[in-house]
Amino acid sequence: MSEKGHAQSNIRLGMVIDLDKCTGCGACSAACQAENNISFRPDESNKLRSISWMYIYQLDNKKDYPDYKIAYLPRPCMHCDADHHSPCTFVCPVNATTRDENNGIVTHIYPRCIGCRYCMVACPYHARSFNWWDPTWPKPMTSMLSPEVSPRMRGVVEKCTFCHHRYNKARAKAYVDGTDPNKATYNPACADACPTKAITFGNLLDEKSEVAKLSKDPRAFRVLEKLQTKPKVYYLSKQDWIRNLADNSLT
Amino acid sequence: MQFAAGAVGGTLLTPLPWKLADDSAVWSQNWSWRPSPERGEITKVPSVCTLCAGGCGIQARLVNGNRAILIEGNPANPVNEGSVCALAASALQFLYAPYRVTQPLKQTKKRGDKTGFQAISWEQAQTELSKKLEEIRGEGPHTVACITSSRRSSMDDLWAQFFNAYGSPNLFKMPSECDASKSAAQLTTGNSSTFAFDLENAGYVLSFGANLLDGCAAPSRASGALRRWKKDRYPVKIVQVESRASITASKADVFLPINPGTEAALAMGIAHLMVNGANYDAYFVKNNVFGFEDWTDSNGKKHQGFKSLVSSSAYTPEQVAKITGLEPAKVRELAKEFASQPKALAVWGTGRADVSNNTYHELVFVALNALKGNLKPGGLIGLAPKAPLSELSAQKDILSENSSQQPRLDLAKSQNCPCPQNGLYGFLDAVSSGPKYPIKLLMVHEANPAHCLPENKLFAAAAEKVPTLVSFSSFMDETALQSDYILPDHMALERFDDVIGIPGAPYGYYAVSAPIIKPLLDTKHTGEVLMKVASTLGGTVASSIPWKSYEDFLKFRVEGIAKAKAGAVIDKPIEISSIKAGDPVTSNYSDAADLFKKLKAGLCWHDAPSAVTFDKTTSGKLELACQSIGKNAQSSDDVIYLPHFAPLKPSGSESEWPLLLVSYSSPRVSCGYLANTPFMNKLIPDSMLAGDELFIDLNPQTAASLGIAQGDQVKIKTTQGEAGAKANITPAARPGVLYIPRGMGHKAYDEYIGNKGVNACQLMEVQLDPVSGMGTVWATRAQLRRV
Repeated sequence: MSEKGHAQSNIRLGMVIDLDKCTGCGACSAACQAENNISFRPDESNKLRSISWMYIYQLDNKKDYPDYKIAYLPRPCMHCDADHHSPCTFVCPVNATTRDENNGIVTHIYPRCIGCRYCMVACPYHARSFNWWDPTWPKPMTSMLSPEVSPRMRGVVEKCTFCHHRYNKARAKAYVDGTDPNKATYNPACADACPTKAITFGNLLDEKSEVAKLSKDPRAFRVLEKLQTKPKVYYLSKQDWIRNLADNSLT
Repeated sequence: MQFAAGAVGGTLLTPLPWKLADDSAVWSQNWSWRPSPERGEITKVPSVCTLCAGGCGIQARLVNGNRAILIEGNPANPVNEGSVCALAASALQFLYAPYRVTQPLKQTKKRGDKTGFQAISWEQAQTELSKKLEEIRGEGPHTVACITSSRRSSMDDLWAQFFNAYGSPNLFKMPSECDASKSAAQLTTGNSSTFAFDLENAGYVLSFGANLLDGCAAPSRASGALRRWKKDRYPVKIVQVESRASITASKADVFLPINPGTEAALAMGIAHLMVNGANYDAYFVKNNVFGFEDWTDSNGKKHQGFKSLVSSSAYTPEQVAKITGLEPAKVRELAKEFASQPKALAVWGTGRADVSNNTYHELVFVALNALKGNLKPGGLIGLAPKAPLSELSAQKDILSENSSQQPRLDLAKSQNCPCPQNGLYGFLDAVSSGPKYPIKLLMVHEANPAHCLPENKLFAAAAEKVPTLVSFSSFMDETALQSDYILPDHMALERFDDVIGIPGAPYGYYAVSAPIIKPLLDTKHTGEVLMKVASTLGGTVASSIPWKSYEDFLKFRVEGIAKAKAGAVIDKPIEISSIKAGDPVTSNYSDAADLFKKLKAGLCWHDAPSAVTFDKTTSGKLELACQSIGKNAQSSDDVIYLPHFAPLKPSGSESEWPLLLVSYSSPRVSCGYLANTPFMNKLIPDSMLAGDELFIDLNPQTAASLGIAQGDQVKIKTTQGEAGAKANITPAARPGVLYIPRGMGHKAYDEYIGNKGVNACQLMEVQLDPVSGMGTVWATRAQLRRV
């Protein structure tokens, strides 16, 4: 046990998203939906009811035409690395959501979830969605459901898992290949899909990894850093107005 | 009393009710309506995406070889380098769509009545189609027509082969930006090709309304280019010129807001300053450009050249500023920057990949690049090279020979435009308004003109006059719904197809899209339907189309590449944009069979870019004075030969219709033949759609003058039609201009796709380009009021 109150490993999976390259095309989100069996409904325009693990926020600089500028901020789960607990894991009464200290992924076990939605309230990033209904798919589309990710049921919360089923696969492959599973690398579906390669993924504690280098870039920042949630998702931007919207200042 | 209180207390204290409620919750969560996806071995199958013209390599993940669960990018492909777009990522929602046509259908009631469709066998469907075609052929084969959106695939050539052999000139394509580029390339270089841009190697990009990141024709390549431009050291400066603060404008370093449709005026203004300041590639222009100086035609008549036109007072920065709405100083600054940057490239587009552009404006942008010297060998602009596929040549019999005397229906009128191109609008117009000859059978392939053709009512009017309408759509779309027969094609992932070149890409590209999965339904490849029909018709039609399967046909086409020993297969990651024109590319396949095997395995073929050649023009140079325009010209003014700013005025008066409506495309909305998927609907922001209501974007200033608040219910009325919508007040909109997204408002399909918003095509006005006769769309006069 370290002074942080939990066992430390040398793996902290994290992500860096370059907002100057992100065009808001939605490929990451669509790929995530396909990868993770995310359900959809006939009307998806009410965003409070829409389930999305990778939600794309539109930011703007609040200026008038023609100085008006937009940018997009794709938001997966931040997999907060705050000491002892992530905000959501702290409030879960049934240990349905916990942080895997081996790799830093915040997991959510659906059969344990009792649907109290405390975690949704606790999450400052709105990264969690609730299944108000049993998901339904129009008949033939159940054929495209992936067996690697279990479809959710009514009454549970769901969120981005950093595609940890892909991580498990990568580790399993490393075992079989006889290499060190702790050095196994993989990409979640969103990072694979991104047409401008704005998303970089990997082990933040591996000094040689691209993601570790980028997370220390002068352009790097995190959203709502002042809350000390220590997200493992970093963003990059040169533009001050985007950085200011991350709400890091105390004023 | 005591007893009752005790009972209540007891019930509350006992855990039984809580336990039962919990149990029932857990129990009902495990009801079988939650699907449990079948497990099995997961394999990956590579292929190439044909959902748009982008030509991306993809790979499908299959469970047990029979259930596709995911489409990802193929890292081995140099175009998308492993990425996918939202459309491809949700491609399986087309494969497993509930609105697919499961087998051939015949309409037995009134057109458009869903209940009237009767299932028929393929045997019957093909026999009836062959019989109709045979009957019509005896009376005059030219009365058969087809509309297809396929243009970079061998399917396109197969249609042409069929129509040539059968004897009808009436084969039309859905409109595309490439039409205008083709028209300009034809006029200036004499080549039947399109211009290609070396985006990746440009050092400065000046974009005249090109929607590089807002859903352009080759989205993956544009995204790849953006990534290269945004590199850490020496990033490439991007200047976006358009009226809306779009995504491309936001990603650009500088956004120059102008009045909609005035991009060409600004380009003329820049050319004016370059010419007057002698700040252009004089060596290239002197040696390789015809019509820059005043010129003399073959009759010895003297004409004004581009130099004197562009340097005239009509294009001074002050004049240009007046037209575009920019400051004169901005025009000067931009011209100076463009002229002085060593690798500056001007790109252009209508901002809508599936709409053609004004030919004169297209010529203006070519001229500006010519002044910059970008068209010289090794320059940033080339002509899209063609893969040397086996050519098709149709054999003709007496019937097809005779009918070739008949003009294409859009050209069968007294006055024709000088350089007619894809004349779909002319054709639809002719069919609906007493044509020279009637159309007896219209086939629609991979297209949905009833919905996504701007001014779609023109298609409806034409379809009414056609006794038999046949659709080959895989989906029950708006056009299929209006058809008499539906002969459903396989969905793109279930069939063989190919990709011949990528729009706007300078390198040669060819890829075969092999099926990732066996057809799920009772569908048939349209190419194979054509083969079957041809063999039933017999004679020269059958001998012109001798193939038995579409795969055989593609093998035949690939033989051409192998014979020419051209290009190479990409079997390891390469930076395709680093290959320069004239660089040797050594072939790495042994013969045609080997090449086809590699292509079928998802690898793509490439070749070096080709420089622009001018040897096909009359002058042997790049023709800025396009002599062929003079042919049918109604005016003798010298300006008709030259690139100039020639806006087509939208109909209606400004006093009656004070606003302009401009349509835009979004990468999150599919606006062509394919409708949005449920996954993509999730991406549509709530500032674009709320329930079934679409938002129209307008500037806060416009809104204030109309007394409209955010989210107000409004009625939009244009010279073409009217619709109800909601107001979205955003500074992205230019004052006085309204913006509507394209691709919404489907009426067909199912509850997930249909009835979402308004179809922009029913509100937009199409104007015919005077040079090419193609339909152009830029702005429509409109009114907006609160309801």
